[in-house]
Amino acid sequence: MTPVTALTLTLLIPLASAAGIAFFLRRRGGLASTLSVAAAALLCICSFIAINARGDAAIVASWDWLSFGEFKVSMGFLLDDVAATMLAMVSFVGLLIHVFSLGYMKSDKAQARFFGGLSIFMFSMIGIILADNLIMIFVFWELVGFSSYMLIGHYLETEEAKAASKKAFIVNRVGDLGFLIGIVLAYWHFGTTDLTKMEQLTLGHPELVNAGIAAFLICGFIGKSAQFPLHVWLPDAMAGPTPVSALIHAATMVAAGIYFLIRISFLLPVEVLGFVAWLGTAVAVYAGFCAYAQNDIKRILAYSTLSQLGYMAAAFGLGYPGIALFHLITHAFFKALLFLGAGSVIHGCHHEQDIFKMGGLLKRMPITAITFAIGVLALCGVYGLAGFYSKDAILIAGGLEKTVIFILLTLGAFLTAGYMGRLFWVAFLGAPKSDAASHAKESPLTMVIPLLILAGLSVVGGMIQLWPEGLGALIRFDLERLHHAEGYSAMHHDVLIYGSAAWVVGLLGAFFFYGVGAKDDRLARIAPSVFAFLKARLWFDEIYGFYVSQVQDRFAAILSFLDVFLLRGLIIRGSAGLVGILGLGVRTLHVGNLHAYVYWFLGGLLLFWAFVGTVL
Amino acid sequence: MFDPNATVLLAAILVPLFAGVVLAFGSGYTGGMRRGVALGGFGYPLVAAFFLAFRFDPAQVGAYNFESKLATGLDSFGIYLHLGLNGISLPLFLLAGVVGFAAGLYAMFSNAERPHLYLALMLFMQSGLMGTFASVDIFFFYFFHEFALIPTFIMIAVWGGTGRRTAAMEMTIYLTLGAMLSLLGLVSLYVTSGAESFSLPELRDYLATHPLSETLQANIFGLLLFGFGILVSLFPFHSWAPKGYASAPTGTAMLHAGVLKKFGLYGLLQIGVPLLPVGMAHWFPWLAWLALGNIIIIGLVTIAQRDLKLMLGYSSVMHMGYAFLGIAAFSVVGAGGALLMMVAHGLSVALLFMLSTCIYHRSLTFDLGAMGGLAVKAPVLCAFFVAASMASIGLPGFGNFWGEFTIFMALAETEFTRWLVLPAALGIIISAIYGLRAVANIFFGKPKAEFAARWDSDEVKDLQGFEKTPAMILLAALVVIGIFPRLVSDRADAELGGLYPIKESLPQFETTAGTPAVSGKEQTH
Repeated sequence: MTPVTALTLTLLIPLASAAGIAFFLRRRGGLASTLSVAAAALLCICSFIAINARGDAAIVASWDWLSFGEFKVSMGFLLDDVAATMLAMVSFVGLLIHVFSLGYMKSDKAQARFFGGLSIFMFSMIGIILADNLIMIFVFWELVGFSSYMLIGHYLETEEAKAASKKAFIVNRVGDLGFLIGIVLAYWHFGTTDLTKMEQLTLGHPELVNAGIAAFLICGFIGKSAQFPLHVWLPDAMAGPTPVSALIHAATMVAAGIYFLIRISFLLPVEVLGFVAWLGTAVAVYAGFCAYAQNDIKRILAYSTLSQLGYMAAAFGLGYPGIALFHLITHAFFKALLFLGAGSVIHGCHHEQDIFKMGGLLKRMPITAITFAIGVLALCGVYGLAGFYSKDAILIAGGLEKTVIFILLTLGAFLTAGYMGRLFWVAFLGAPKSDAASHAKESPLTMVIPLLILAGLSVVGGMIQLWPEGLGALIRFDLERLHHAEGYSAMHHDVLIYGSAAWVVGLLGAFFFYGVGAKDDRLARIAPSVFAFLKARLWFDEIYGFYVSQVQDRFAAILSFLDVFLLRGLIIRGSAGLVGILGLGVRTLHVGNLHAYVYWFLGGLLLFWAFVGTVL
Repeated sequence: MFDPNATVLLAAILVPLFAGVVLAFGSGYTGGMRRGVALGGFGYPLVAAFFLAFRFDPAQVGAYNFESKLATGLDSFGIYLHLGLNGISLPLFLLAGVVGFAAGLYAMFSNAERPHLYLALMLFMQSGLMGTFASVDIFFFYFFHEFALIPTFIMIAVWGGTGRRTAAMEMTIYLTLGAMLSLLGLVSLYVTSGAESFSLPELRDYLATHPLSETLQANIFGLLLFGFGILVSLFPFHSWAPKGYASAPTGTAMLHAGVLKKFGLYGLLQIGVPLLPVGMAHWFPWLAWLALGNIIIIGLVTIAQRDLKLMLGYSSVMHMGYAFLGIAAFSVVGAGGALLMMVAHGLSVALLFMLSTCIYHRSLTFDLGAMGGLAVKAPVLCAFFVAASMASIGLPGFGNFWGEFTIFMALAETEFTRWLVLPAALGIIISAIYGLRAVANIFFGKPKAEFAARWDSDEVKDLQGFEKTPAMILLAALVVIGIFPRLVSDRADAELGGLYPIKESLPQFETTAGTPAVSGKEQTH
């Protein structure tokens, strides 16, 4: 099998699986889930074959897809180091989440639709990773948006799913509008959207880098990675089934925005990079605060995801794309673990999601609880775990480049430890606070095994020296660069102290403040105004809601009114009436019934014919 | 020189016509016989279209494949029944075959009164549609359009839904006005050019050596633009469309919105713009602003709709704005995008109109606020409707995406039109809003009280075979174009390359188009 064949298979296997499910297995949930998992396993194997075959050079292939005049679209693969690293993570984590879903979705009515959706998602996500040009990225970018829409809306009878799926798609479209314009402008600016060609062009002619185009392009990132001001869809997206939250809204799709930035880093001038760094930092801190006012286990994790995406964006903006990628990968491991752990808890507690109604799960679901604890520690950046290496590097980069960003990101790390501590102490320790929690049982093997594997990765995944040779070259390069930067060792020392202090203080603070297995939120009790402020999340949703219902919909209604009454009623009818007055002959034509009108018309045509005939 | 394929082409017009005549006198036919005849009448054009598409010789750029020329008794005017296909008309010919077949299939099993007459009129329409896109002669191009239009009016007036009389009347007045203006344009093109033929290639060759004066070009193009524009519901001449489609019987709406409406765009694309480039340059600001009106104003009006059929009618008007912008870009890219958009929109709008009737049969209402939760009862219908909505809002994987994307590309190609990209692209958000709202209101959540009361009746069931087959055909066509746009673009690209010169070669275009806002204002005052 040639590498290109392997890549083609990697891309098409999940599509075939989705098509098979849609056409033949709609009513056979069991078979559909088997097919989807088998497809995930196969594509994982194919992707590793391709990655192995890569060697040092990138695998490239390209096919002409559409051409009109000067406008040419091609579809192709560019499997370089970054793409290979991302592909390895997505196909492997994707497989684990597929396996987990076998158990989690076992009793779901619409299992087939769910697994079909997962397959479509894998197809689209892999398309983004492999794409060699902006247009192809955009095609698959929209398709992941669609699969996300479909899976958020899985429980379609519920009002949450109905609203959240719509919101996710529309908010993403707002970002995609900018992305689309950016692509269109870039095409005529560079004469191509091929990543390799554009990179060569900008290397030869740095003046070609255009801040306007870059600003449009990063709109796509802002929408997909849920950054300000388009972050509102991600917490609501938790209305989808938990494996979806793990796969799409934590590990892979939302990180695609960061991946996209890394792919086009040569198109972004310094000003745009600086903007991305500040944006990411702001989101990291903002989301950290928001998480304190959430009681739903998944929504807490969703804000944590937002915040971690902010870290990645900050790292990228500070000029270290490799470190952003590093955090993207380690985050995928421990956040997938946390979400799957949450899924296991929700499964065990019969769909109870409020952490204040859980408690005592450590005894009843020990494997879930211990792996979840590992995930929490990895997320907090405890020394030696996956999150430590990448977060440490981000903080160092921040400390070396911009002190304010460093301070804010350290604050973010403290906040992270605090809300994760709150979640863990309240939900897993103490006594059960509801019937569901007291009857919780450990989840079946299909769910536990992915947890164990991800826990393992969350422990060792950050040790880059253990990674396979062919992966993570950019990460190694940027880490080296950081290690040789001026002032590294002093900063490394500081970060070790501040970073460790952040998680120790955060976890212990939460322990003493909220208490083990608390029944209600102490912050809400002693400082309701602070809690309410955090819960309001700076009123973004309210403002958008106001805009949609009070401005947009009203404006639309007014236009609709004008359309019917002004345009139709007055102008068109009025002029028709005028025509009518002009002559009785015309008037009979208009008032006469339709048949007569049609006969007139046919008669006219015949007359024309006859006229020409007699002239002959 | 006799080309046997030319007979196949001619038969694609005659077979549905013949089948229609047979059915018109078939009041005593059994259901099976009726369907058999109709199947032949709708099936043959489809088969012929695909057969011809495979036999199509892409090397004949600038000329027509499968040409035939029959005397009609109008030789003194240079009018012949001159048929043939080129890279621009072939995709539309295929579209007519596919949509016609799907609409016919659906109509065969609908419970219309006097079904033999209903099917006969649809077959006449089908014959006219095939003829329109197969005509090389401008007179017959127009004639076949009228031939298809008359059954439309009758079908709306006789078989239409609520308010069919006024809707049919308004539509008739509007469309006849549009048709008259475009006829006037075509005739004056013939008269003023001094060419002795209505044949498009001869006219083109003649005009290439004897170009018209700027004033004449501008006047004639104005007639064509507004004539064809009315037929394609150019803002603000769109108000016939939503009402008309809302009250039209399903098959008619599918054929008209899906195929017949494309006549106007096709006329501009194949005839108006290439023959009258200076006229096009003169009217550019009008076309651009009005097309934006289609996209943004009508887009917002669509958001405000609460009736499913009206919403679909308005959304169809909105999407025509993209096609107009593609034409306004006056380039191979723009014309190609408009062509892709026409084909894809034809398929998706026909599918949506059909599915909306399927929804009505289950909900007994078009009121979006009174449905809900239908996905539980009808998952397949939901899947089709979601797919069709996604296609219509330009999700990649369906043909519409390539149309819209190519048009945006075309607008950004030069400085004159680049300002249009942002306002035009706002449409992708607007259409997502109304498309997803409709899906959410019909299929998601819990059923509303009245709908819930009928929940267990036999009518509320999933898509049936006779509904599934035509839907499948249309969706498959959308996906094929979405995945392999080259199937449409390769031949069209070659053909358009000859018709659309590089626009910088037109000084008028540059001067007029460079200051669109200013000249637009001058025109209005």
